[in-house]
Amino acid sequence: MTLPARRQPASAVSFAVTAEAHLDDVYGYLVYLTRDRTLAEDLAAETFEKALKLWRRFDPRRASARTWLCQIARTTALDWFRAEERRRRREQAVARSDVAAGDMPEGLSPELEAALAALSAGEREVIALRILLELDGDEAARVLGISPTAVSTRLSRALKKLEERMTVHV
Amino acid sequence: MSEHLLDQIRAAKPVAPDTLRERVRTQAAALPARRPLLSRLTQRRFLVALPMTLVVGLLAAGVIAKLPQESSSDTAVAVGAATTATAEASRGRESLPAQSAPFQNSDSVAIAPTPGRLQRVDAELRLRVEGLDELSNATKRAMRVAQSLGGYVASVQYDAPARGVGGANLVLRVPSARFQTAIAQLSALGTILGQRIGIEDLQTSANDLTDQIVDTQRLIAQLRRQLASTSLVDEERAVLQARLAEARRRLADLQTALRGTRAEGALATVQVSLTTEAITPAAEKEGRLDRLGEILAWEGTALLYALVLVGPFVLLGILVWLALRLRRRSEETRLLERA
Repeated sequence: MTLPARRQPASAVSFAVTAEAHLDDVYGYLVYLTRDRTLAEDLAAETFEKALKLWRRFDPRRASARTWLCQIARTTALDWFRAEERRRRREQAVARSDVAAGDMPEGLSPELEAALAALSAGEREVIALRILLELDGDEAARVLGISPTAVSTRLSRALKKLEERMTVHV
Repeated sequence: MSEHLLDQIRAAKPVAPDTLRERVRTQAAALPARRPLLSRLTQRRFLVALPMTLVVGLLAAGVIAKLPQESSSDTAVAVGAATTATAEASRGRESLPAQSAPFQNSDSVAIAPTPGRLQRVDAELRLRVEGLDELSNATKRAMRVAQSLGGYVASVQYDAPARGVGGANLVLRVPSARFQTAIAQLSALGTILGQRIGIEDLQTSANDLTDQIVDTQRLIAQLRRQLASTSLVDEERAVLQARLAEARRRLADLQTALRGTRAEGALATVQVSLTTEAITPAAEKEGRLDRLGEILAWEGTALLYALVLVGPFVLLGILVWLALRLRRRSEETRLLERA
């Protein structure tokens, strides 16, 4: 009789291996969230820096490494959004974003890129998590800090909006 | 939403640039800090630690309950010039036969008046005797003890009903010098249920009174010499005579007080309570279990108090945490809407 395989504790798995495995996921998620590849690169680096510090706290029984990294990435991005908002407020440049419009991933059709760019960051991030990273409802809910039902609703609305935008462009 | 569009999104998944990959590899080469102690307390460890804590708590309660109960008879408290010693017999001692528990063999044998010093001594003895006949005998013997030691019976109450519990209460005065003998003989009259001994030093106040008497006597002698002088005018003589009369009154008062203090120290008061009430044997057996239960009850009470005290703060903390979380979420949503 063989015992069921136990999940290895975080310390047993190399951080470098985990980072390598999920680097594209984190970067892709941040590109969708920020619409800025350069910014996404910086935020991804910051995310992994934070993750390394917290690595010993990571418990694979609570969430997968990808989910955990996406949670850190989201917090990092939100911190950046907050800092940006404060900066914009100080400069009194209301409603002006420095993020270049249309700086979306390469390989998308211009219509889809424009439609995605027209969505809010909240809508894009749910598409990134569920479609791009193919996280299941529970994992996405964990990253976003909401219920799986709310994730479904948010995704449904985002896709509907995206479809509408596509129709307009077509 | 068409599957074609979704496939397009999936196919165009961004790939991390090499510069980022290199940065992350460099970061990963660094060694992370040691995990904090609290974060190492996993759910599984907690499930082991909790029952162990409970077991340790129960063991501690058991050990405390098993420790010999500190009898107050072992305690002699000295405060200033006064010494009070209380000896309350434990339940365990109740089962001792009268002959095996004389005062000399008890824990409080060291508690005795200091020879050569004036001390107020008093004691209470609670004894159990077998039946009404024994009660009558013990009462008579207690009275004889007082008289044989040169003391007397200050009061006696004897109650021997046809049915029920009989009892006698005696107040005996015995010379302080023979106090220990009196206690030893009286303790042998029955099974000791309880005892209390009180000793208060009177020597200091007696010395003070003596000093004041000597001073007053000197004053009187001095006033007499002054009054013997022929050169005094009438007014001066009247003043001196008034002072002399006052000093004599004071001397009389001081001498009375000194006599009273000496009388207090000369005789010790011993109250003896005799009863025929039976001792329940279950009491001794239940003692330790009762104590264990009592300690557990105290632990529970302390825990309840802690909960009552801390509970509102915890609740408030949770509410604040929820409010902050809600606020943070709405702020995040707003940020993502704008971004």
